[in-house]
Amino acid sequence: MQISDEAILKAVDRFAAIRGEGTLANLLAFGRVLKETGVKVSLSQVIDASRSLELVDIARRDDFRAVLRSNLVSDKEEMPLFDRVFDRFWQEHGFEEPPMESVEMPPSSAEQKGGDSADAGGSLEEIVAQAASQEAKLSEEAERFPVPTYSPHEALHKKDFSEMGIEESRAISRAILLIATKIATQVSRRKKRAAKGEEIDPRWTMRKNIKYGGEIIQLFSRKRRIKKTRVVLLCDVSGSMDCYSRFLIQFMYGLQNELWGVETFVFSTSLSRITHLIRTKDIGSALERISHSILGWSGGTNIGRSLCTFNRDFAPSLVTHRTVVVIISDGWDRGDVGLLEREMRSLKRRCHKIIWLNPLLASENYEPLCKGMQAALPYLDLFLSVHNLNSLIALGRTLQKMVA
Amino acid sequence: MNPKKLTIEKIQEALRGQRYICDRSLATVVYLSIAMGKPVLLEGEAGVGKTEIAKVLAEVMETKLIRLQCYEGLDANTALYEWNYPKQMLRIKLEELRRGDRDVVETEIFSEEYLVKRPLLEAIQSDGPKPPVLLIDEIDRADMEFEAFLLEVLSDFQITIPEIGTIRAKLRPYVFLTSNRTREIHDALKRRCLYHWIDYPTFEKEYEIVMTKFPEVRDHLAKQICSFMQRVRQMNFYKRPGVAETLDWAAALIALNRQEVDEKTLAETMGCIFKYKEDLHHLKEELTGKRLALDQMLKDLPELSA
Repeated sequence: MQISDEAILKAVDRFAAIRGEGTLANLLAFGRVLKETGVKVSLSQVIDASRSLELVDIARRDDFRAVLRSNLVSDKEEMPLFDRVFDRFWQEHGFEEPPMESVEMPPSSAEQKGGDSADAGGSLEEIVAQAASQEAKLSEEAERFPVPTYSPHEALHKKDFSEMGIEESRAISRAILLIATKIATQVSRRKKRAAKGEEIDPRWTMRKNIKYGGEIIQLFSRKRRIKKTRVVLLCDVSGSMDCYSRFLIQFMYGLQNELWGVETFVFSTSLSRITHLIRTKDIGSALERISHSILGWSGGTNIGRSLCTFNRDFAPSLVTHRTVVVIISDGWDRGDVGLLEREMRSLKRRCHKIIWLNPLLASENYEPLCKGMQAALPYLDLFLSVHNLNSLIALGRTLQKMVA
Repeated sequence: MNPKKLTIEKIQEALRGQRYICDRSLATVVYLSIAMGKPVLLEGEAGVGKTEIAKVLAEVMETKLIRLQCYEGLDANTALYEWNYPKQMLRIKLEELRRGDRDVVETEIFSEEYLVKRPLLEAIQSDGPKPPVLLIDEIDRADMEFEAFLLEVLSDFQITIPEIGTIRAKLRPYVFLTSNRTREIHDALKRRCLYHWIDYPTFEKEYEIVMTKFPEVRDHLAKQICSFMQRVRQMNFYKRPGVAETLDWAAALIALNRQEVDEKTLAETMGCIFKYKEDLHHLKEELTGKRLALDQMLKDLPELSA
């Protein structure tokens, strides 16, 4: 899940050409190496970093590191990578030899050396201009030799949820949390001015009435903005979904606890509402309570019957034209396909959007051939896979667009 | 403290003088921020001292602290300025009785006297003698709109009020932003800041913090407290306790006049460490189930005994 040491060394070598010629050039090369390995660094940050270096005693390696890190890194997750690149870059360079001093330039950049090596004390503007041209050159170069881009969770992003261990679930929790908060911020706490609202807006009333010489003639009121979304989550917990159950629980739990207006159900051969069971801060005990109170966990599947129960008992009070219904299931149905289709149709009429998340969708030879899935397909607004972190992040974006 | 004569060591020393123990890397960031006039973005788990550093720095620099607590729905009216409408109204009424000049009144009621200054304006307008410390707390709680607005203020340190004109900061405030990472801060804002992540303290650092805050505490008790906290943070709780909880707990134990932590004492005081029913319950279960041996938890960590 991490970028290899060789890749870092390779990046260091690639940018050796623009090293030397003072701190800024060295820093720019360092910035490029960071960028290459996946840390987002902008030119202005590099320039600030070089300004900062003038303020501290760079002979102290830990200070030197702290200065560069605080300027160039802006995410905790990037720090370990920064440290590794830092060690490679500045060590190979020989730290005892202060980075201020110029270093022998490789012959490849001879044409640059010609004009610039003389102005070691050149003005900052010149150096920056030169640096910018080098940047441009390098990015051209980078285009010619595409280098695989790196993301801190790369391997994790692609790993199937069914293969994940406990440590990795933290990253998932974080992704879910981000999804949840993305949706949650759609629900505004701000108040807006309204002709007919719940309460008088004194500030606005006074402001508007100044034109009448301070006589209160017109009243202005305000009300809460409408809560935009409601999510109903229907999770398949039958035997065929077993390997995804940990993820499912985390997903249900995460969404439920971070969002306002989420209702959670699980189904296998029958449907149970578990909203109240997972409304707790402790995921461990939530798990226990769910498994105690639900029959048919890891059993067979009857999606049609479960949907029928949902439509009859819960949909009238929970589903409105603003509701997004999320179904997580592999679509292996042992029940009556005709019933499934009928229920999908009636659910579709009632709600805003239906999203079906299928963990199997990612496997190469999967096609939604099973009858249940085929019956449901025409009624779906979105048919997505949730098998790894990437797909989860994609889901977050899609959800945000849908409820906006 | 004279900002011109600062060094990293001096900052670290001065903060320690105010009973704030910080790593050299944090002191370096604070120093850079003062020297370069660049805001600091502090991230870290709850209760590791993100807010505290701004407060303590204000003490050290002998200047005032201006704090803006963010929340969802925070808008420019609450963060920047607002006209004092009731006061304006009164003035208008008075002028009516006195039959004053309309134009004069109009210009007067939109002058500084009728302006309600909110934290950001206050920080920018502050005329010293020293630059204030501006703490923008829990920026992740505010919404994106506010972040964009903040970006504008922090890049120019000037504010335009249509009725009055542009107000430029005479003294650039020392700006600290904190975030609990409940959502990502926008890159543009991050890039404008020096970034520092405050981690949970090591055993040594936490021990030093406890001893500095409570000089009267017995060495043995302090070690027990810190060992326990270090180990609790390794375990699976909904909300891992921070340094703030450590200090609360230490204060409670001192107030109860306990010389050491035993099962009964822990049961009485665990409300200081955990703030959720589920976590309290979890700890109780672990203890009664003997899955977790208290004496093991309290034993010195190897680093210290070594």
